[in-house]
Amino acid sequence: MTTSTRAQQILTGSIGLLFASPMLFVLWRAITADRTSTAQFDDLIAPAWRTLLLATLVSCSAMVLGTLLAWLLMRTDLAGRSWWRVVLILPVVLPSFVGATAFLAGLSPDGFLTSALEFVGLDPPQRFRGLGPAWMLLTAFSYPFVLMPVSARLATLRPSLDESARLLGASPWDSFIRITVPHVRAAVIGGGLIVFLYVVSDFGAVQLLGYDTLTRVIFATRQADRATSFTAAALVLALAATALLLSRTVVGDIEPDTVQTIRVAKRHHLGLGQIPALLGCGLVTGISVVAPLSSLLVWAGRGLRDGRIDIGDLLTPTGNSAIMGLGAAVVTLGIVAPVAARTVRRGDAVSRLAGLAIVGGFALPGIVIALALAVLTLNTPAINALYQTIPVLALAYVIHFGSLAFGSSQDAARAVSAVLRDSARLLERSAVRRLLHIDLPVMRTGLMSGGGLVMLAVLKELPATLLLSPIGFRTLATEVWSAFEEGFYADAAAASLMLVTVSGVLTWFLVLRRVVAQSA
Amino acid sequence: MTVLVTTALTTALTTAGLYACSGSADSVTIYSGRTEDLIAPILQEFTESTGIKVEVKYGQSADLALLIEEEQAAGRTDVDVFLSQSPGSVGYLDQLGVLESVPDEVLGLVPSEVRDDDSRWVGFSGRQRVLVYNTDVLAETELPSSVFELTDEQWKGQIGIAPGNGSFQDFVTAMRVSEGDEATAEWLAGIAANDPLTYENNTAIVAAASRGEIEVGLVNHYYNYRALAEDPSQTTANHLFAEGDPGSLLIVTAAAIVKGSDHPTQAAELITFLLSESGQAYFAEQTYEYPLAIGVAPPQNLPPLTFQDVGGIDFDQLGDGLAGTRQMITDAGLDG
Repeated sequence: MTTSTRAQQILTGSIGLLFASPMLFVLWRAITADRTSTAQFDDLIAPAWRTLLLATLVSCSAMVLGTLLAWLLMRTDLAGRSWWRVVLILPVVLPSFVGATAFLAGLSPDGFLTSALEFVGLDPPQRFRGLGPAWMLLTAFSYPFVLMPVSARLATLRPSLDESARLLGASPWDSFIRITVPHVRAAVIGGGLIVFLYVVSDFGAVQLLGYDTLTRVIFATRQADRATSFTAAALVLALAATALLLSRTVVGDIEPDTVQTIRVAKRHHLGLGQIPALLGCGLVTGISVVAPLSSLLVWAGRGLRDGRIDIGDLLTPTGNSAIMGLGAAVVTLGIVAPVAARTVRRGDAVSRLAGLAIVGGFALPGIVIALALAVLTLNTPAINALYQTIPVLALAYVIHFGSLAFGSSQDAARAVSAVLRDSARLLERSAVRRLLHIDLPVMRTGLMSGGGLVMLAVLKELPATLLLSPIGFRTLATEVWSAFEEGFYADAAAASLMLVTVSGVLTWFLVLRRVVAQSA
Repeated sequence: MTVLVTTALTTALTTAGLYACSGSADSVTIYSGRTEDLIAPILQEFTESTGIKVEVKYGQSADLALLIEEEQAAGRTDVDVFLSQSPGSVGYLDQLGVLESVPDEVLGLVPSEVRDDDSRWVGFSGRQRVLVYNTDVLAETELPSSVFELTDEQWKGQIGIAPGNGSFQDFVTAMRVSEGDEATAEWLAGIAANDPLTYENNTAIVAAASRGEIEVGLVNHYYNYRALAEDPSQTTANHLFAEGDPGSLLIVTAAAIVKGSDHPTQAAELITFLLSESGQAYFAEQTYEYPLAIGVAPPQNLPPLTFQDVGGIDFDQLGDGLAGTRQMITDAGLDG
């Protein structure tokens, strides 16, 4: 083994350890906690079961919905598709507690949803709580985690097979099921896994919808009964690990593409199919975007009318959010993409383990990761000066959201075929130039989509931002939370709408514009 | 793209540098469980009138208490003053022994009922526990005069509570002190048998009452005033239980000085300012809360209030403290 591969291995291992540190912290606390007044372990079984049930249901429905929508956007002549492309990823930009609060407000007697339901002759539900509503709303908020990587995969997938199938007489639906789905399988399952982890770590939406999961236990007991709190967090990790290993088994090993994409796929003509396709997109958008946004607009409108809202006050938080979102996305890609590429190309044990640690980081609630990093920084003499500084906050983002870039990075690495890399190696000796001129241009779409998800997640991140940021550091997410917590709806809505705008604009310019141009 | 990245990183590092250099001699660092909207204006006034700068980290009281615990465990003090939304979190820190005594002259500004018996914290504004109700479905006369009546069959499936929230837990703790554990457990079991709907916090309960999801909800008085300020057409109102009923407890927001603080004088000055006439007027007029300082009258829009002894709620005395309360809530079958 050469020195450089040895060094690479050690580096990969260290990255894995870094990502694993919050999980090790949870296990350590769960084991060492004082158990004198601890709830029975049995008290955790029911919440754990409910968490598993909801996460499984939501990830299945999000996989179906996200894949269908990605196919409509990338492979058909759906009317207004470049517009849909932005609108359909918007649901992930709202923190879940904001989305759920605003959605529920739409069910008020004079709310948007009540009016919409009455318009079509339906009675609005008096109560919108429990498994069914939680399943529906979390699917509506999380399918973009599938849509984005699958779109990116479709953008780099060679279209020839699909076209041959159609030449041989297959309908668009047949070719979708028999040709496209098998090729995007890894991206679909990778996205489904992210959705699963999102659900097990969510607190805001499930609380508002009255569906009791493990995160409720973690929060309710975090001060009064820490043993229970950390045991619940360890159970979350166990659920995540199971899902992770299961998804690995289902996906199996995937061969990188052997033929490179050089031309753009022809689009299926939907014809009359436009009508159900547009209705479907409209329904999804109505539930996941229009309903929450309409409440936010009502609240912000009230504040604007009586002059309570000061937009100028949002400029600093907006700048901070944008910088942290962009910076954390770039740093995350820089750390995660090499590990992802290594798992694809070498598949050695070290990189596989590091990959597991990276993906698992998304399963822990943000508050647990924040606390873990606080303890780690405070008790490590070499870095305790960095407590409550931007670098440690950025590190928390990287650890929490690395998983969002991991799957796309793996797909991006697969898009660089072995043949291409061999030819490049013959023609260009410098590894740096090969990376810049061959690998990165081919990987760009996948990396951008992964980085985009990280950025969106950072923009709305709350618990780590509150605990680990420098004192006085305000972001849009902290403004939104602060106002919502005490019922300042007008301020909360103004900051939320700013968050939606910033997220939308950044995603369009950095991620989507290129994908759209590539596949127009 | 490269330019963008470089700019982003440079800005981030510069920001980090700027923040790392802060914390001068004439400043006070606060961890505030009260959100920015509720306290920033009065803190700004403090700086303007005293010249002492304030640095604030906002968050949920429980999370900030955990952070202070970890900082102290690592042998350092990063904060001078802790402002807690409820006595629970400040009591938690008191139990860990990481709070300084509040000077006597500051303690003397409030009645003894709303400060800690061991001088570790002092209340600076109050919120009363009330029953919020939907005025479309209920008239004031149909509402009970005691929180104990909520266990009646009549309220089955119609009560909203927030069992995981600090103010509900503090209310149950106070009930344990005044009514005893047995009566409290019985009440909790009665409420659980009435299939209440559970929520994360007071704001969510008021919103649920306004959309008719529940008829009544146990909350702090302040939240309905807040909701009506946002939307005057909302059909919800507060109902007060009878005077002296455990259901009408006063929950105080509390200030404490953290052990090892570098600025104990400025910290005391800050708390004194919060209890000054202008400070108390701010809470009364701007945040619909009860002033606690001696000699400051409550605002006219709030009903008068007799103080119950919340300072005497000694978490040590109860033996198992907050954890015991939480356990009782869970044992009753309420998910808290």
